[in-house]
Amino acid sequence: MSWAWFHKLGSPKWFFSWSKSWALPLFCVGCVCLFVGLVWGLAFAPADYQQGNSFRIIYIHVPVAMLAQSCYLALGVAGFVFLVWQMKMAPVFIKSMAPVGAVMALIALVSGAIWGKPTWGTWWVWDARLTSVLVLFLLYMGIIALQNSLDDLVLVNKAAAVISVLGLINLPIIKYSVVLLETLHQGPTFTLTKKPEMPPEMWLPLLFSVIGLYCFVAGLVLWRMQTEILKREHRSNWVKQEVMEHGL
Amino acid sequence: MTYSSFIRSEFLVLWRRKQDIFNALLFFIIVVALFPIGINSSAEFLAPAAAGIVWCAVMLAILMAVEGMFKEDYWDGSLEQWIVSGLSLPLLILLKVIVQWLVVVAPLLVMMPLFSEMLYLPSLSFWVLIMTLLLGSPSLFFIGAVGAALTMSIKQGAVLVMLLILPFYLPVIIFSTLAVKAAEAGLPYSGLLAMLLAMSLLSLVISPLMTAIAVKASVN
Amino acid sequence: MQSTASLTISNLWIERGERDLCQGLSFSVQSGEIVRILGDNGAGKSSLLKTIAGVFSPLEGKISYVGEDVTFDRSLLQKDAIYLGHSVGVKSLLTVVENLRWYCPDVSLGVLHEVLELLEITNHVDVLVKNLSAGQARRVALARLWLSNKTLWLLDEPFASLDVRGVTLLEQRIQQHVLSGGLVVLTTHHDLLTLSSRDVVLLP
Ligand SMILES: Nc1ncnc2c1ncn2[C@@H]1O[C@H](COP(=O)(O)OP(=O)(O)OP(=O)(O)O)[C@@H](O)[C@H]1O
Ligand SMILES: [Mg+2]
Repeated sequence: MSWAWFHKLGSPKWFFSWSKSWALPLFCVGCVCLFVGLVWGLAFAPADYQQGNSFRIIYIHVPVAMLAQSCYLALGVAGFVFLVWQMKMAPVFIKSMAPVGAVMALIALVSGAIWGKPTWGTWWVWDARLTSVLVLFLLYMGIIALQNSLDDLVLVNKAAAVISVLGLINLPIIKYSVVLLETLHQGPTFTLTKKPEMPPEMWLPLLFSVIGLYCFVAGLVLWRMQTEILKREHRSNWVKQEVMEHGL
Repeated sequence: MTYSSFIRSEFLVLWRRKQDIFNALLFFIIVVALFPIGINSSAEFLAPAAAGIVWCAVMLAILMAVEGMFKEDYWDGSLEQWIVSGLSLPLLILLKVIVQWLVVVAPLLVMMPLFSEMLYLPSLSFWVLIMTLLLGSPSLFFIGAVGAALTMSIKQGAVLVMLLILPFYLPVIIFSTLAVKAAEAGLPYSGLLAMLLAMSLLSLVISPLMTAIAVKASVN
Repeated sequence: MQSTASLTISNLWIERGERDLCQGLSFSVQSGEIVRILGDNGAGKSSLLKTIAGVFSPLEGKISYVGEDVTFDRSLLQKDAIYLGHSVGVKSLLTVVENLRWYCPDVSLGVLHEVLELLEITNHVDVLVKNLSAGQARRVALARLWLSNKTLWLLDEPFASLDVRGVTLLEQRIQQHVLSGGLVVLTTHHDLLTLSSRDVVLLP
């Protein structure tokens, strides 16, 4: 396999032109899939025999919760890549991804709470999944706060990478400890995404919305990265040319 | 500069700043006192909650003590001197964290018998609590050092360090309180202590490297 | 101390924040030479010295010391160099003697007191550095030049806040150092009184 693509990732110019051709299609595919998945799931999929219609919120909750975790995984990997290979795109990626991940974690929290009300009778239960999503949200907010409080760009890049890598190492331990806490406390035994044998009419829309959300977020992050690249490289000639030719 | 002269001067500086350490300990006492005063002072509430209360207070006190550990070195130019000394930067940081740990944790441990009485901690679990403190607190220092290094160039960075670092402390507090509870219930707890030890060792390896990266990026 | 050492900088580019500094600077220093870096405020003199000392890495270019390439691993150079920056790295909560023993633990107390006497800070040996004046604190930092036996000196405005006698003392010490084969790279905005140096001018 050729490593050329890996080295090209170091060049903002190459990445910019590459991402321009990918952002829009990804975003559109994401929107369509998400729309299909949500409409199908919310309006047409059969109701759960235990939870009735309230279970339909999994079509939002599950994809968002998955995204929140995947985003953090991606942040950690990007941080590692930056610390080891000094790749220029990695901090741009972290900067653009962190707020998106934070929003995903927040939506997961809110939708989890809304789902909790009819199922558990309260908005909040210290269930392992909800707790670890809360911690995830705090980790995201920590990265964002750090980026906003430091002003030297070199330091911002390094700091965000360091804290993401640290979070990536720590996240499994946090999850493990939270699950341990719950099992030893004999808390509510019902977990949100216990996988019963779902009929295809139920999991197909879920699949659609998961894939849709992934594409949607990928497109969104590519866009944010383009903006960030323009901001960072505003002194270089290719950016000036780019702006002259295509406007902002 | 040599490693031994570095350790000596670190001890000396901490000795001159004993008021700061003292403040962190007082802070610990106040946080512990808040629980009986603010929630419930009966033995039925305090006894099962004691380990959790102590650990919450320890976490906050340690973070208070560690949060500014690089600030002075940053502003007076010592960090530059560490970097150009030809000594290994991660090793210097490791030594500094160990010195801090010794100076802060030793008085905390000395105060523990008093607090276990005040919080009606069952005598059965006292030694387990001490063990969790000994095994778990190093990782708090090592993780806290990364936060301190990342924020040293900010004048007022304490709250930011809290926000940044406290989520990382959660596993330590969970394992520790579970170990104490297991001991009270007569269940085996050595696995949890092993987890604490593992976390401390892992952070001992990773944190100096990460802190060194942060220090180098800050001294720019 | 090495008797024949040389420091060679070739094609150096430094990036600070938004700015490129030095832009392909090359020069070399042989033993017995004083090189003075000149340039306006913000021209990058301090950045250059820090880069040589290894506080940060250059964007491009090569730094070699005694014939070895030390661009990526500066430890060979660092073991044989003293760097004094704008902030001199004396701890305000340590006394004068404690500060010096931190940097030079092998020096005997007798030698230490001799040097302090020469620098006229004997009366303040056991005073915390935070209670000294700026010039006195700088003298404490400069005392390392008398106490340690390193070949390469990287001095960033060493004369700042020194009085006339301090300046003379320091110039004498620098002279003595280069005569015994040392290398000195320094920046200053004042003219050197007794020393003759080679000048490297940084363009902004
Ligand atoms: N911490 C920093 N972050 C970003 N840029 C910096 C930083 N420090 C300095 N710079 C930039 O680097 C340039 C060179 O700074 P430097 O301190 O090397 O100048 P100098 O030649 O030593 O000036 P002076 O004569 O004032 O000491 C400055 O123009 C400044 O804009
Ligand atoms: Mg300068």
